[in-house]
Amino acid sequence: MLNELIFQDCTSSHDPVVGCALEGVSNIIAGIRDISIVLHSPQGCASTVALGYDNHETDFTQRKVACTRLFETDIIMGATDKLRDLILKADATYKTKVMFVVGTCSADIIGEDIEGLCRSMQSKVGARLIPMHSGGFRGDLYAGMDLGLSTLLSFVQPWDGPKLPRTVNLIAPQASLNPTWWADLKWTKSVLSAMGVKTHCVFPSDVSIEEISKASAASANILLTHDMGYTFMREMEAKHGVPTILHDLPLPIGLKNTSNWLRALGEYFDASAVAEELIESGETLVTNTLRRRGLMIIPRYRNAKVAISADASMTIGLLRMLFEDLEMIPDLLLVRSNSKQAREKLETELKRLGISPRVAFGIDGFKIKHALAASDLDAVFGSAWEKYLAEELGTKVACDLLQPTNRTFYRDSAYFGYEGMINMLEILANDWEAAFRSKAIRWEQYQ
Amino acid sequence: MPKSDSVTTPTVAESVVFHGSLSHLYQLAKEGKIPTTLQGSHTRPCKFWTASKILSGIRNSILLTHGPSGCAFGVKQAYKLTNSRNSAAPYEPVVSTNLKQSQIVYGGERELQAALLEVDAKYRPDVIFVATSCATGIIGDNVDAVASKIQSEVSAKVMAIHCEGFAGEYRSGFDLVFREITKLMQAPTEESREKLAGYVNIVGAKMGPERTEVDTDVKELVRLIEGIGGKVHSVIAGNCSLEELQRAPSVAVNCALCLDLGYAIGSAMRDAFGTPLNSTILPYGIAATERWIMGAAKYLGKTAEAEALMRREYESIKDEYELVKSHLVGKTAIVEGHDAIKSLSIAHMLERDFKMRAIVYNFHPWSAEARETSIDYLLETGLDPEILITKGTLALGKYESMQQTEAELLELLGSLNPMETVYFGSSLSFPNIPLVDLNAILNRPRFGYLGALKVAKCIKTSLDYAFRPRSAMSKRIVFPKNSGLVSVQSLTGKLAHDMPDCTMYAGQRRKGQCSMN
Repeated sequence: MLNELIFQDCTSSHDPVVGCALEGVSNIIAGIRDISIVLHSPQGCASTVALGYDNHETDFTQRKVACTRLFETDIIMGATDKLRDLILKADATYKTKVMFVVGTCSADIIGEDIEGLCRSMQSKVGARLIPMHSGGFRGDLYAGMDLGLSTLLSFVQPWDGPKLPRTVNLIAPQASLNPTWWADLKWTKSVLSAMGVKTHCVFPSDVSIEEISKASAASANILLTHDMGYTFMREMEAKHGVPTILHDLPLPIGLKNTSNWLRALGEYFDASAVAEELIESGETLVTNTLRRRGLMIIPRYRNAKVAISADASMTIGLLRMLFEDLEMIPDLLLVRSNSKQAREKLETELKRLGISPRVAFGIDGFKIKHALAASDLDAVFGSAWEKYLAEELGTKVACDLLQPTNRTFYRDSAYFGYEGMINMLEILANDWEAAFRSKAIRWEQYQ
Repeated sequence: MPKSDSVTTPTVAESVVFHGSLSHLYQLAKEGKIPTTLQGSHTRPCKFWTASKILSGIRNSILLTHGPSGCAFGVKQAYKLTNSRNSAAPYEPVVSTNLKQSQIVYGGERELQAALLEVDAKYRPDVIFVATSCATGIIGDNVDAVASKIQSEVSAKVMAIHCEGFAGEYRSGFDLVFREITKLMQAPTEESREKLAGYVNIVGAKMGPERTEVDTDVKELVRLIEGIGGKVHSVIAGNCSLEELQRAPSVAVNCALCLDLGYAIGSAMRDAFGTPLNSTILPYGIAATERWIMGAAKYLGKTAEAEALMRREYESIKDEYELVKSHLVGKTAIVEGHDAIKSLSIAHMLERDFKMRAIVYNFHPWSAEARETSIDYLLETGLDPEILITKGTLALGKYESMQQTEAELLELLGSLNPMETVYFGSSLSFPNIPLVDLNAILNRPRFGYLGALKVAKCIKTSLDYAFRPRSAMSKRIVFPKNSGLVSVQSLTGKLAHDMPDCTMYAGQRRKGQCSMN
């Protein structure tokens, strides 16, 4: 039983910390090569689509987006002709294999027949037209990503032959709050490769439609998030016979989680010896590094009462790292998403750890502030939002680790794996030092 | 007298769609003879976003967006997070009624009413602005009725802002909010006017508090007002409070920060309360600054003080300023037209103060419609800068990043004497002529006399170091190796807003022989 917080005055007003379904859809589509988007919407929605591309750091020359820029008369009279013209123009200009025709709130509500239009226009354009209704009211970022994945499922073709041995699909790496999440993807591919396992298709990050169509040939799927993707995994198993593995484990964040994850992966692919080698060298790397450079983290962090404000993936992953590896006390867990599966996973992990911190799901800005203010915490792990809130509330240390961050990253930094743990500890160490630096004492006092 | 569009120098390529005077472009736009609509790839923030931007500059107010949560999240991430980063401003929420599908079907008025009560109880704000979204605009929720009904039950003032994204162009959100917030103001009394007789408002500002560590343009304007013995009552809407807004009409004069946006609120206050308006073009350069100061001084009764200040200020920069000016008279300036008002204001400074020939490059014809106030003002004051628009600006793509515009600019530059030409634009461009980037944070303030000196110094530095080739590293950062012409916007989304309209080449030399490297 989770120790859940209850908030007053939060039924009808929400200060969101995640985007809407349109952003989620964009975050999925932006991972596919050689596609374009025709957005049937007022122009502001293009900013939301840009957020999806920003999350992939997609080169601007590859952002092939056009928007019908709906105005009042279009809303009243309908704008099918406008959409038709833009599809033709975008097809001639962008020349992509696939064009997603995305309707947002406005087109969705006024009932634009995007499917019908795409059907009737298909023979007139070079791109394969994929209609999508992505009104923001269809849910939050995670619901949008699920919507995007379910659309991609229609691209996956049946695979009649035997599954390709030692191959996996990696699902939704971009759902991560690591500001340079592709470093986590790289780490995951590298450990798979070390075990002789090939990454077959990444859903989707820098992949082609052809790669997606053959995803059913893989022998397993690994979901790299706890916040969404469950329906997609179920469908992949039911329709294409690709099972999901490692779904009952926290992501490889911190020493113990990484070791557990690698062991389970090694067991599944009959590569336990390789897994043990990776664990041995990784744990040595962490302990040797910290012996030389971070010895003082032991007295500093031990029994520090901390909050985690993140998505379910990071929250569940960080829990064991903070509690067992670093001997901190997770006292407050604020989770951005609110899926049944994420709740169950968190509950299971807390049971395994034997702790019962206060928890809230589907949090917003007010709930974060209120919960932090009502707590006696030493440190907060979160994003720039939590950093500024902690400053305001007087919480001593705030680690600006997650998206949205105001920290500048020039190097890609994994959070997964052993180096990932060192990367996170480096950020924490710098924020910790900055927090305790006296800003008041000046030499003049001693003159 | 408007220039004719038969200007023949410099020689321009076939790709030019317009080359002539601003007045001629303006006329063509009015007559529908040049396309003034943006391409589908040229999206701007919508009315909801621009309205939210102004509202973000009002302290202790809550923006309650009535609709799905994505609209609130977007503006919060863009505006509030930036406020916190730049100025250590505390965390500010942007609240949403977070409508789902069922409310889209059955209506969301009940949620709005409940949300208003919650927001009032949770945040205790001075004002709650209810901003409508596309979704609630279409389903027809009666936001005004809900706001009015709930007013007696909450302590905050409730104001509905109808800013559905589809309901107008980019700047219509600015204008709407500036008009609406005048309804929060109190009519001046004799007593209040007397109390604020020595005060001005700076109007037409957008978003949040000023950075404390930067010599901003607003700070420079405040210094000038104080220099003539006046005081600034409020910067609207730049971190102003409800109380400041309420008393704002009683000041001696409203001084426009941005001509367009300042005019929107300034004229609304003038019409409603009789508050005088000092509306000039952005005070870049001495001529525009003096006009701005004298416009304020007239209503403050400080004309003599203003004249004394102007003499003092000019004397303090004279030597360096005049030296630079002597290098510039008669030269040509290419001014990037991405930011319409800024480019026109810079053109004004270059022509009036530095006696240069200014060519505003790729000023989108869309701006001719969107920026009528500024254009009217410029033309009325006799300034009619040269405008050059190339095809790439009007093509589908992202016009800021079109390869086409790069080639077209090179064509233009190739026909100019590099020793006689200065480029005013982003330093992410690589023209082979001295380049002045007035957007760089170190190049502030840009307004007033200090700004004029800063601009002069920037020009001088560019001329002094014109012998130095641009960094090969910088060029390769902007233009990946062997990619030929690519977009400068290929860096990251975060940088996109600062990118120039037209960018240069990478890789091989191209037509337009102005390259040094």
